[in-house]
Amino acid sequence: MPLSAYQIAEEPYFEPQGGEVALFSAAHALRQPVMIKGPTGCGKTRFIEHMAWRLGRPLITVACHEDMTASDLVGRYLLDAGGTAWHDGPLTLAVRHGAICYLDEIVEARQDTTVVVHPLTDDRRILPLEKKNELVRAHPDFQLVISYNPGYQSVLKDLKESTKQRFVALDFAYPDAEREAQIVAREAGVAKDVAVLLVRIAERTRNLKGHGLDEGASTRMLIQAGRLIKQGVGLAEACHVALVLPITDDMGVRETLSDVIAACA
Amino acid sequence: MTLSSPAKLDTSVLLPLEPEEEEERPLSERIPGLRRYLAGLYGARASLRALPGEGGTQVARRTSFDGRVLFLPEAYRGFRDETADRLYLAAVAHAGAHLAFGRARFEPKSLKPLQIALISLLEDARVEWLAMEALPGLRRLWRPFHDALALDKDGATATAEVLMARLALALFDPARPLDNPWLAKGRDMFFAAMPEWDDPGALRLLGSLLGNDLGQMRVQFNSKTYVVQPVYRDDNAGLWEFDRPPPPEEDDTSLAEAVRIETREKPPEPGERERREAGGESDPRPASLSPLDPDQWIAVARMPEWDHGAGRLRPDWATIVEATPRTAPAALVERWLEARPDVARRTAGLIRQAKVGRPARLRRQGEGDRLDLDAAVRAAIDLRAGFDPDTRVFERSALSERDLAMLVLLDISESTKDTIGGTATSVFSVLREAVAHLSAALAETGDRFALHAFCSNGRDEVRYRRVKEFAEPFGNAARSRLAGLRPGLSTRMGAALRVATREAARQLSHRRLVLVVTDGEPSDIDVTDPAYLVEDARKAVQEAAGAGVDVFCVGLDKTGETYLSRIFGRGNFVQIGKVEMLPDRLPQIYVRLTR
Repeated sequence: MPLSAYQIAEEPYFEPQGGEVALFSAAHALRQPVMIKGPTGCGKTRFIEHMAWRLGRPLITVACHEDMTASDLVGRYLLDAGGTAWHDGPLTLAVRHGAICYLDEIVEARQDTTVVVHPLTDDRRILPLEKKNELVRAHPDFQLVISYNPGYQSVLKDLKESTKQRFVALDFAYPDAEREAQIVAREAGVAKDVAVLLVRIAERTRNLKGHGLDEGASTRMLIQAGRLIKQGVGLAEACHVALVLPITDDMGVRETLSDVIAACA
Repeated sequence: MTLSSPAKLDTSVLLPLEPEEEEERPLSERIPGLRRYLAGLYGARASLRALPGEGGTQVARRTSFDGRVLFLPEAYRGFRDETADRLYLAAVAHAGAHLAFGRARFEPKSLKPLQIALISLLEDARVEWLAMEALPGLRRLWRPFHDALALDKDGATATAEVLMARLALALFDPARPLDNPWLAKGRDMFFAAMPEWDDPGALRLLGSLLGNDLGQMRVQFNSKTYVVQPVYRDDNAGLWEFDRPPPPEEDDTSLAEAVRIETREKPPEPGERERREAGGESDPRPASLSPLDPDQWIAVARMPEWDHGAGRLRPDWATIVEATPRTAPAALVERWLEARPDVARRTAGLIRQAKVGRPARLRRQGEGDRLDLDAAVRAAIDLRAGFDPDTRVFERSALSERDLAMLVLLDISESTKDTIGGTATSVFSVLREAVAHLSAALAETGDRFALHAFCSNGRDEVRYRRVKEFAEPFGNAARSRLAGLRPGLSTRMGAALRVATREAARQLSHRRLVLVVTDGEPSDIDVTDPAYLVEDARKAVQEAAGAGVDVFCVGLDKTGETYLSRIFGRGNFVQIGKVEMLPDRLPQIYVRLTR
């Protein structure tokens, strides 16, 4: 089995927020391409890992970046002793052998790169390998999932309309306070009351979105702060190094954040 | 490390200081932070403004809050430095509690002033309790201001004011032992009523009862001299629905002050605004405004204008006029730059980084440090197939060289005089500051750029100001012209864009860019059709594209989506909802555009 390295053996912890597990399962049954939107650090990637585990599919993740070309996804010829040999890219691998292919932060990739997924995301479910002169028909288990953070969207980085309209979308947000506290407590290994406090702080920083912050503190950040606290770092200091300092360089905003955090505890 | 640890709050001592005020941080500098604080704590939005502190009549000033606008005193007498910082935070946190947990206003009906004051006090305590439930740290913030009143001293005369301040404390900290039966009654009834706090009638009833008790105790209450304690609380004018002149005097004055501020916001004399614009200091007008009449406008060109109704270009329709630029001391620009060192640092870093350019991968090179796989493979295939292979099979990285000329075109029409929600800062002053930061950073790196500005007064007078030309350094001359820039009149964007396009097109650069910064829709006094100038500007943008000049727009108007995308095309503009962010955003936009 060529994809055994991509199988997820242990259940990745995921706390469902609503019907997303059922929805994704339904979309997977139809092999519909899925787009996952949501702010940074809210659990998009974790969700996909969890679903791949739950559905028993291998998961191939590609972190997209600006310099990524279509060959980086699809594959390329490499030179070897006998001449040239074709090497499948991650996308082709998933298409051939039936994995969930997860393109993380797809908007980071250039638009001419993202269009390679088009023939895979409609009825055809094919991937033409132009250079190899091969038409790969998607394995029945293949499913494409992309994610992006709408908060980063700008005129310079956005999905093409023709790309967007091929997906069903799941919109993620930060979990509600109680659930988020549960997640933080579990992932960071801190007591429930510390987790509750961290979540309360996070909610306040999210209020500051648009007031000097592009994004509030994410669940991921809270877990980092919680882990520091678990290590014996004081709450104020943990919040300072894990929440305040990373999130902004603006002195005024930092001051406000510190004041707000002081009001929370 | 600038960690304000919560523990620090406890150790604070509130020392009332001499009333002489040394250089305190002006309120205008505090307001952005306080607004963020309010938003952070409660996710609430309110306008924060200054309550002008003229005259020394009222000793103890309080914030005034009418539900939407929070008026803060310019200074709290007797509070300075860190204590003052904390007091402003406390005041904003308290007003925010009203905003977050308040409800419909009370009707004064037949209530006596004392009862009104008491009900307000109970409501204050209620919202604070609710706020502290959500944000326990607020207790630490508010507590010192209660303690500072030193109310537990025995033998204090039992005036209504003292009793009420003590009641405020008893409600704030119910665990304190009380020696006064009235206070104990008030406290116990207040907390007994906790399940009914949602019902405004309950507090109203309780307040009336307590008021009656005080009346029977023959405690004097003078509504004219009464001020809410502790100092961070607001005057509670926003809690009541006064349709007649309100009974307590203080409400009256605060409302009057509110009105006074409104009128001060738009001062009739232009001179005063300019003085305020000039950096907030109170020097007389910059002396250099007058010697050569800078307002002698001379026609220099005629520009066509697109009549979208007729579907044709009206030749020579708009007259471009220029004048000797007004100047002001170049040191002002210096001061703007120094005022925000963080922005200056970030801008410089950002632009330096952009200047160096990102490494570009040059493929199919005759020589290089890596094999270009695609080319090598192609060569190998060609070899096997018996073709003559392309020998350029290497690739290398090189820093891309940028060859770019940018013209920044500023809209300095009347509307840029508008102040940004709740502060004394105008859009124009932020714009100027942002441009100063960008220019200083660009000058450092030697990018070619020019800085022009425009406004218009009908089609015969499209005023075009040259602050900095391409060939000129961003030195004292350009700086003093930037400092001397004043807003006014209308926005005839198309004509100005055509001039800017010509200027940019003359530059021998690979890429030529006009960056328009505008805060509103094109308009002018002689145009009634709102679409006319929009369409003309759109045409001007198209002409620029034809001339090989890219036009990009930064819109400072939250509602500008429609016309901006009409004029510049979707994807060729960004909107900045919060004007204060412009100094930070402008360089980012520049960097993105020039990649």
